[in-house]
Amino acid sequence: MAIQTDVIALPPRAPSRFASLRLKDFPLIPVLILGSIALVAIFANVLAPHNPEIGSLTARFKPPVWQTGGSTKYLLGTDQLGRDVLSRLIFGARVSMVVGFTAVIFAGIIGTALGIISGYLGGWVDQVIMRLTDTWLALPGVTFAIFLAAIVGPSMWNIVIILALTYWTRYARVIRGEVLSLKEREFVRLAIVAGCSKWTIMYRHILPNIINSAIVLGTLMLGVVIIAEATLSFLGIGVPPPQAAWGLMLSDGKQSLMVGRWWLSVLPGLCIMLMVLSANILGDWLRVKLDPQLRQL
Amino acid sequence: MVRDEQSSLIGSYPTRRDVLALTALGLVAGVPRSSFAVEPSGQLTWGIHVSLAPTWFDPAETPGLITPFMVLYALHDAMVKPMPGQPLAPCLAESFSASEDGLSYEFVLRKGAKFHNGDPVTAEDVKYSFERYRGTSHDLIKERVASIETPDPRHIRFALKAPWPDFLTFYATATGAGWIVPKTYAEKVGDDGFKKAPIGAGPYRFVSFTPGVELVLEAFDQYWRKTPSVKRLVFKSIPEETTRLAALQRGEVDIVYSIRGELAEELRRTPGLTLKPVLSPAPFWVYFPDQWDPKSPWSDERVRRAASLAIDREAMNDAITLGYSKVTGSIIPYSFEFFWQPPMPSYDPAAAKRLLAEAGHPNGLDAGEFYCDSSYSNVAEALLDNLQAIGIRTKLRPLERAAFIEAYAHKKLKNLILGGSGAFGNAATRLETYVVKGGAYVYGSYPDIDALYQQQAVELNHKRRGEILDKTQQILAKRTIYAPIWQLGFINGAGPRVGESGFGLITDFAYTGPFEDITLKGS
Amino acid sequence: MKQYIGRRTAYCLLSLFLLSVTIFFFVRVTGDPATLLVEPGASEADIAAIHHQFGLDRPLWVQYGIFMASLAHGDLGQSFYYRTPVMELYLSRLPNSLYLAAVAMLLSLLIGIPSGVLASVRVGGFWDSAGKMFTLLGLSVPSFWVGLVLILIFSVYLGWLPSSGAGTPLHLIMPAFALGWYFAAAHMRLTRSSMLEVLGSEYVKLARLKGLPQSLVIAKHAFKNALIPVLTVAGINLVIMVKVAIVVEVVFAWPGIGRLLYEGITFRDFPVVQGVVLMGGAMIVIVNLVVDILYAVIDPRIRLES
Repeated sequence: MAIQTDVIALPPRAPSRFASLRLKDFPLIPVLILGSIALVAIFANVLAPHNPEIGSLTARFKPPVWQTGGSTKYLLGTDQLGRDVLSRLIFGARVSMVVGFTAVIFAGIIGTALGIISGYLGGWVDQVIMRLTDTWLALPGVTFAIFLAAIVGPSMWNIVIILALTYWTRYARVIRGEVLSLKEREFVRLAIVAGCSKWTIMYRHILPNIINSAIVLGTLMLGVVIIAEATLSFLGIGVPPPQAAWGLMLSDGKQSLMVGRWWLSVLPGLCIMLMVLSANILGDWLRVKLDPQLRQL
Repeated sequence: MVRDEQSSLIGSYPTRRDVLALTALGLVAGVPRSSFAVEPSGQLTWGIHVSLAPTWFDPAETPGLITPFMVLYALHDAMVKPMPGQPLAPCLAESFSASEDGLSYEFVLRKGAKFHNGDPVTAEDVKYSFERYRGTSHDLIKERVASIETPDPRHIRFALKAPWPDFLTFYATATGAGWIVPKTYAEKVGDDGFKKAPIGAGPYRFVSFTPGVELVLEAFDQYWRKTPSVKRLVFKSIPEETTRLAALQRGEVDIVYSIRGELAEELRRTPGLTLKPVLSPAPFWVYFPDQWDPKSPWSDERVRRAASLAIDREAMNDAITLGYSKVTGSIIPYSFEFFWQPPMPSYDPAAAKRLLAEAGHPNGLDAGEFYCDSSYSNVAEALLDNLQAIGIRTKLRPLERAAFIEAYAHKKLKNLILGGSGAFGNAATRLETYVVKGGAYVYGSYPDIDALYQQQAVELNHKRRGEILDKTQQILAKRTIYAPIWQLGFINGAGPRVGESGFGLITDFAYTGPFEDITLKGS
Repeated sequence: MKQYIGRRTAYCLLSLFLLSVTIFFFVRVTGDPATLLVEPGASEADIAAIHHQFGLDRPLWVQYGIFMASLAHGDLGQSFYYRTPVMELYLSRLPNSLYLAAVAMLLSLLIGIPSGVLASVRVGGFWDSAGKMFTLLGLSVPSFWVGLVLILIFSVYLGWLPSSGAGTPLHLIMPAFALGWYFAAAHMRLTRSSMLEVLGSEYVKLARLKGLPQSLVIAKHAFKNALIPVLTVAGINLVIMVKVAIVVEVVFAWPGIGRLLYEGITFRDFPVVQGVVLMGGAMIVIVNLVVDILYAVIDPRIRLES
């Protein structure tokens, strides 16, 4: 005996923003890598076997455990001051994550805000902001960073500010371009006719449509920012010692590279590479999925 | 970049009688030109650690740094300058003497001394060079000189307004006023023209200069002291250390300046390359700017002494400068006049902890911030570890060099400072700048030291002056106003083609010199 | 049209003016060059003398006035460290930087474009993945590190290439690669998406329908059209490259502008920093201006829009 049930027509679910993400070429590995780095960063205190900032000169330059002279005490070896490399890498993840994400978010906020304002309001506001962007671009990022470091002195948070101030222009330009085309769309015109104020329109109508691009830009900028931090350390004005930061380790290790102590620069270099590569692949994938228009990036 | 200076006078300068005696014995520095001069040949290339500035080709503009002297010794010559074995060797001057009352100094020019363009060096040129000088301390030295007389082309007399025992040291080493340039030529081409095509009286003449890239010099075969053995000298600017070493390893350069840390180890290990360490007269120290603040833990001398005892200077020396630095207990370089040897600092963390406990900090203390020049971060980090080991916790704040110097001088730093100085002078000048009230880097002073300093400033008797300065330095050490660390070993490298490299020939000079003594191997 | 050009030029000048003011005051905030030109412990008199020599003891606006006045004559002032005119220094180093950037750009295009084309055509193939990986790697490692590793491998171990300096084409290879690898990825991405777009276009569909072989379609039709946006971006990137080259120039002791700027900042050599930044800014602004004008010439809609 068949059981009769009423067929209920369910209303079709509105596709969520991320509906299109569920596809076969989801970059699983990059996301896993980024996730692990994040976890390591959060639980650094628990995971790290030694204090990353204090070492003893008697334990200098020990190689990783699988090489002759290595020991299980220092799994990945020690650096020029006898500090454990593994612990420094773990804590370095924290710095890279914090510096990377905060700088990107700050830059994003500034750049997106200015991009929206500039694109939507147009006129002289637009011109002023664009001139400002031009001027800012003319100061090469590294130079600008050196300046700021000279004025405020290097510290992790100062580096975040420096990087945010250096890279906001990338957002501003792209977002402005988006806004310019969005401005002409129906729903915006309707909003204007309906009497919404400029700020309401910018906040409630334009912004949600811009977020996609901002997110994609963000993942792409993450890589740039992390490399920039490493470069600043090389020039002597990055995250200050004795803090453990991958870029600083890379820069400190450059002498060791020449001498054959490869683990001091290859290992942090590998970490940087993994993180940036993952961010880039994720960003590429997001770009294709969320907004194919952004081919300019 | 290590800043170091040439030594000052040790002992007193010769009087007229002494000079006459020495001349008679033929012991005045400056071997007379050998009658059979060998043709200069070959080329040597230097990889230097800074960018060459045209201002270094002109002795009139010597800033207070040592770096221009790496070029000055090749291109130019001075009346009196530091040479091997003699801190004040007569060069362009054949002899010199001071009057008994200390008010005038006479120089006799060497016969046959020539400029690169063939013109002879005359008294007019000496006078002109002095008056033209506008580099460091130029107002100081010009103020004290009343007049310069040139009774004949080979005699010059400097008349001072008041007796000044340090005149010769300033004339010969601290300033470029004693380095002679040709008057007619310099006036003809002007200052800018002179920097583009300098002419001097040194062992090498100028060939070409590509800014930021390289400087090329050629041997001047009529140099009075001897004909240089190497024909061509090329100075290449390679600021990045690892690249510099790579260039030496590949034979692209023959001599490099300033190789530090692990790269120095690598240099030592590479067959064919030689490590050439030079002890620079630049002591490094930890300063306690808070010691005059009664609320600060650093006001207790025991805490300061504890910090000094905690520093493992030997281990740091081995690790960071391969043992080539010289541990010191004084902020005054060993080679300075009036230097007093304090007891050598020891490494005793147990005693340090005891002292801390005695002073009321049995569990260590939070010492705040530790400032340093970021190029010496590695030294500071090691120090930080040492202090941590006895319980003194600090946070390192490396500052970029320019920012550090400025903050240090404008009294903006606190807690702990890693400082150092390669400035020229003697014990008195060092005390003036770093210890006595009113000094540029002085954050506080002690009245007894100030009083002693005032005393020695007017003491004309050399021996008594020395005694006062000794006493002052004793108080300095006893009170641990500073915790001195070492005099920095400046490590250079030479390749297989180099015979005599010129390193270490002149005391306290970090670079190669004299250039006419440098040879290629096998020549 | 004239109005358009006129407006654009005015904005350019405004940008440059803003830049000059910014950089002028910015450098002076970074510190005092006198402290770097003398030994620590030098007397007040020495430092004051240096201030006077460089005109730093005059009021700021007077210094600025002097600066702008000389600028009008094409004089960027005299370097504190080198004591030679900045314009001379700049012009002597500029060709080196341009040379390096041009070769690096060439390299980045040679690597980026083919991998982008492959990526768009044979999605998922071995060469596609390999090409993508290689270019993306260029984005993931800092250029100074690439430079150092290259020196280590090719100069020290293998001894094939000179380690630093400039002079022969051999000197150029490693720095150009270190500099260009990063941009190769950008060009690859752009080529790929550009190709994808063109390959999906009506024009190409028609060519396929006509029965043209795939390779011909790609080579003749798709490729040329896809190249346009890539070359536009490449133009701007060239200017950016000159700027970003600082690190590579420092590592390889390359006598370019980047190094000049870096040393200028380290030594607080105000005239050099001002000069290099202004000239760099002028270059960017002029390039933008030219591009804008070209666009306006090609597309009338742009110049009519106010």
